[in-house]
Amino acid sequence: MATVVIMPRQGQSVESCIITAFNKKVGDTVEKGDVLFSYETDKSSFDEPAPEAGKILAIFREEGDDVPCLENVLVIGQEGEDISAFQPAADAAAPAAEAPAEAAPAAEAPAVAAEAPATTEGIGSISPRARLLAEKTHADLLKAVPTGPNGRIIERDVQKLLDQGLTVSPAARAGYTAAVEGTGMNGKVVLGDLNAPAAPAAPAAEAPVVEAAYEDVKIPNIRKIIAKQMCASLTTMAQLTLNTSFDASKIIALRGSLKAGAEKMGLANITYNDMILFAVSRVVTNYKVLNAHYLNDDTMRYFKNVNLGIAVDTERGLMVPTVFGAEKMSLNDLAKSAKSVIGDAQSGKINPDLLKGATFTVSNLGAMGIESFTPIINPPQTAILGVGGITKRIKEVGGEDVTYSAMSLSLTIDHRAIDGADGARFLKELGFALEHFDLLLTK
Amino acid sequence: MPKCQYVDPGKAFEAGYIHFEDIPVCQYNKTLAEEKKIYTKDDFMRIYRDMAIIREFETMLNEVKVKSEYNGVKYNNPGPAHLSIGQEASAVGEAYCLDINDFSFGSHRSHGEILAKGLSSIYKLTDEEVYDIMKEFLGGAVLAVVEKQMKSENIKDLAINFLLYGALAEIFARQTGFNRGLGGSMHAFFIPFGLMPNNAIVGASAPIALGAALYKRSNHKPGIVISNCGDGATGRGPVLEALNFASMDQITKLWGMDGKFSDGGMPILFNVFNNHYGMGGQTRGETMGFDMAARLGAGFNPSQMHAERVNGYDPLAVIDAVTRKKALLLEGKGPALLDVVTYRVSGHSPSDSSTYRTQEEIDAWKNADPIVAFRKKLVKGKIATEEEFAVMHEQITARMTEIMKLAINDEISPRMDLYKDPDAISSIMFSNQKVVSMDPSREAEMLMPKEECPRVKEIKGKTRTAKDASGKPVSKMKMYNICDGLFEPIIDKFYDDPTLIAYGEDNRDWGGAFGVYKKMTEAVPYHRFFNSPISESAIVGSAVGYAMCGGRAIVELMYADFIGCAGDEIFNQMAKWQAMSAGILKMPITLRVSVGSKYGAQHSQDWTALCAHIPGLKVVFPATPADAKGLMTSTLDGTDPVIFFESQRIYGIGEEFMPGGVPEGHYEVPLGEPDIKREGKDVTILTIGAVLYRALEAAKILEEKYGVSAEIIDARTIVPFNYEKVIESVKKTGKILLVGDACERNSVMRDMASNITEMCFDYLDGPAVVVGSRNWITPAFELEAHFFPQASWIIDALHEKIMPLPGHVPSNNFTDIEKVERAKKGL
Repeated sequence: MATVVIMPRQGQSVESCIITAFNKKVGDTVEKGDVLFSYETDKSSFDEPAPEAGKILAIFREEGDDVPCLENVLVIGQEGEDISAFQPAADAAAPAAEAPAEAAPAAEAPAVAAEAPATTEGIGSISPRARLLAEKTHADLLKAVPTGPNGRIIERDVQKLLDQGLTVSPAARAGYTAAVEGTGMNGKVVLGDLNAPAAPAAPAAEAPVVEAAYEDVKIPNIRKIIAKQMCASLTTMAQLTLNTSFDASKIIALRGSLKAGAEKMGLANITYNDMILFAVSRVVTNYKVLNAHYLNDDTMRYFKNVNLGIAVDTERGLMVPTVFGAEKMSLNDLAKSAKSVIGDAQSGKINPDLLKGATFTVSNLGAMGIESFTPIINPPQTAILGVGGITKRIKEVGGEDVTYSAMSLSLTIDHRAIDGADGARFLKELGFALEHFDLLLTK
Repeated sequence: MPKCQYVDPGKAFEAGYIHFEDIPVCQYNKTLAEEKKIYTKDDFMRIYRDMAIIREFETMLNEVKVKSEYNGVKYNNPGPAHLSIGQEASAVGEAYCLDINDFSFGSHRSHGEILAKGLSSIYKLTDEEVYDIMKEFLGGAVLAVVEKQMKSENIKDLAINFLLYGALAEIFARQTGFNRGLGGSMHAFFIPFGLMPNNAIVGASAPIALGAALYKRSNHKPGIVISNCGDGATGRGPVLEALNFASMDQITKLWGMDGKFSDGGMPILFNVFNNHYGMGGQTRGETMGFDMAARLGAGFNPSQMHAERVNGYDPLAVIDAVTRKKALLLEGKGPALLDVVTYRVSGHSPSDSSTYRTQEEIDAWKNADPIVAFRKKLVKGKIATEEEFAVMHEQITARMTEIMKLAINDEISPRMDLYKDPDAISSIMFSNQKVVSMDPSREAEMLMPKEECPRVKEIKGKTRTAKDASGKPVSKMKMYNICDGLFEPIIDKFYDDPTLIAYGEDNRDWGGAFGVYKKMTEAVPYHRFFNSPISESAIVGSAVGYAMCGGRAIVELMYADFIGCAGDEIFNQMAKWQAMSAGILKMPITLRVSVGSKYGAQHSQDWTALCAHIPGLKVVFPATPADAKGLMTSTLDGTDPVIFFESQRIYGIGEEFMPGGVPEGHYEVPLGEPDIKREGKDVTILTIGAVLYRALEAAKILEEKYGVSAEIIDARTIVPFNYEKVIESVKKTGKILLVGDACERNSVMRDMASNITEMCFDYLDGPAVVVGSRNWITPAFELEAHFFPQASWIIDALHEKIMPLPGHVPSNNFTDIEKVERAKKGL
């Protein structure tokens, strides 16, 4: 019996994934575990291993296809096996790489199309070709600017949407009747966006074409996400950054002793950042407005748990995995969890569900020698803590100048939700906690 | 226009008179005693029998029509029945003199002629010959029915059953009919007996019969040709054209001038069955002015076509006349004309209530019944007794009843089953064969070896590309052009196929109005290549008859605008005979027509749509020398009727597309395959004919000015047409413009646009847009840019209807509003 390989669902929130590359083609023999194809969600990428050895009998998709999760991608089996049963239902938009030799008899033709067609409600006239292209690519026709005769959307208009990355996820298509700002990959409109308030789409004005000595490189998806979120963050919030520093001597000493004894005690390798995360997880509970989401001008959502987002530098760009329920974790557990999600983010294997849901974020650039910076809030969170490096500072102790190791903290708050004084109080308490980390641990 | 004949102004103005000879009118006056020296009793009885069989056959059809019953057998025949009761003596008298080498063509009222000629042939053939013919015909399908279902006394008797059954089954549209039921009452024929197609179009057989005579003359075949028609048909142009064409001087004066190939005048007898009426119009006294149809002969040549009027109610008078005319024709003194006076006692058709004639008149003619009169004559002359005739009639009625039962039996005589075999008719619309020579047994008659033909020598020195090796345009005189591309396969075919003939107006010395046949005169003898009179109907009609006899013809109409002058011959004859004959006939005719410009409204029209509309014609329109040659080669190698469109705008153009130029030697461009002349990715432009070059201009502008890459496909052929390449292109580009010089309304472009829209709907980024000429008369040359599609029109249409081009300002109005307004006004 042939085995069908489906597009896995990488997390509950994932509707579809884009196939980035096929490593095998129809007719290839594969061993169990061989990588069949690579695919990506809006936030991470994956390799799909062969579930068993055999021959690739059919591939139903093409590279670049946006495949709804759990739909069939390819079939592995023995030569001559009937694979007609695996043929994706009425998938006119994505011709198989190679049609199976023996087509299913007509009587068994699939009755209903599996995918809802691209909605054309709300758009004006459109050429059949443009419609076909939009259906195949899931272009967001509601955002199309028609340039054909009599306001007809023609192929080049859909192509422009695609160039701008304006698409609608397969799941969202059925209910998509009015243009909204997409929050999915490349601005893709996903199911979750459909309840969001509609924002009139304002496609960019046509840019003049200028010949120059440069290289146009397609922006990777993740970069597009980052760009979009950063801009959204700064344009929608009233951000205010407060800077302070604290005496890091205690945590430096603690780190020294932990380093020495970690192995014996079976502890994780606990870093300064872990300690800061720990301190934040304890202190922020006293400031519910900082452990919250500013949903819209009507509603704030306060969290009972502390889900810490950790900004991670990866090859692909900035990622922010989340450690859920940090306030209940011991320092050791928290360090282990953080290490795990950071590692996954860096290797690109992170479960997409772990890339969302943070209630407060910590961004640490200390290791890079940054003394202080203005972190940007990851909306709809209300604050983000930036952590700088350790520097020597002087303070007066008993009339004498003494040097000490100081670590800087920068808190950016959304002034819509929080006043500066609240932020300052939080920073002060956090600094105290870190300066008295031993007490915090015993608390 | 031969130089050997001097047009002397002195002689042209010489005083004198035209003298006419007396035209004999019913001068036959032999006594039975005299006739007994010629005919045996058997002969007399056979003449009588044949008339009686025809009478019974027609009576049966009349009964079926009027009473839905014959002799107790019920049947309903919805098809036509143009009966000839009263005309039996004329038909039998004529046929008596003919053998299978003599071909007879007739009208829509030809049952009598078919039976008479068939019966006469059966009598003259040996048992073996006649059996072989029946066995081979349609794989023995007709023979099988009569052999199995009827008792025949001997082979001849079997053959009579075969003839009656084959004809009746054909009339009743049965698959076992002579033409599988596809010809029907008005088109039945049986070539093995020299019984050539009859015609539902009044007078249409005259030019076709002329073509058969031309075949006999040009190919030195034995026998004569009979062109039968009614007196009403003599009012038709094609008949008069045929009379003139057959009489033209050159046949005796110029053909065979080197003494090698002269066979004398055209071996054709125009036989008018003068029954006094054309449907209801009385020719003598009402619709014609000739008084007697025999007078026509005096109008066509000094021998007055040996015209004579004879009593068609007396078979012996008819035999006497036809025998003399046949002898004249065989002596090379044709053509001849007979005015055979007869009367159609039956109506024009069963629906005829005879409002145009009195009962008194009908009764008078009934009293003169030729069959009764002949029987009385034979009884009185003691040749046979009334009893003998009574027995004969009984046998005939019994035979006819049996034949009818067979012909209406759906099991034995089924109709074509288009459910079981839906392609039965599709498969015979074209013969689609490749036949290099229609008669490989003979050498082609030519005047010199091919290498010595002056035109062949001239082309040898030409450059076969538009540009030389250095990229410079080749001088017009040195450049191999479309005329040369057409000439090469034609001259080759003259040497390869002895049956090939070419003619039309000004074909020979002039070389065709546009020089395609230039310097060919020296190589091809007159009887294969000649100037025709200005008689388009006769030109095309004769080609049809020529092809029916097994020859291949290239005829030319100079301007496509003259297609109308040969409308019936092109649309009803050339197009339909292959299928109407159930594939028995081949129609290897190339009809060359040229699309003009510069010459105004009646000399500048692209009428491809008219031809493409008629099923059964292939339609070709090349636009490059290489395509012209390849398509002409395919056309001439084929066996189907092809309307070969040429464009006067581009006769002189060189080869710009084929790498290395137009290939030497034989090659075919298959009919039906469009060709990509320019590759592109953004928009497809499908062109028909010479407009290709304007499309290329448009493509250049689109590329340079708007960055739009146009793919240009040259249709090359219109029927047949393979859409696959176009569909592929449209799938790529999503946009298509169809451009041609024909008036836009109902053009081929419109038809193709509609088909492409159906087949490529999901791939189209805009409607399939047609850019054709305005629905006007063609204005003078100086105003033509307002009429014929220009490069700018193509760009404007793309901009306005499919894809607006940034910065483009259209100079023509292709908006929907304008279209609606024009259509309202019929423009």
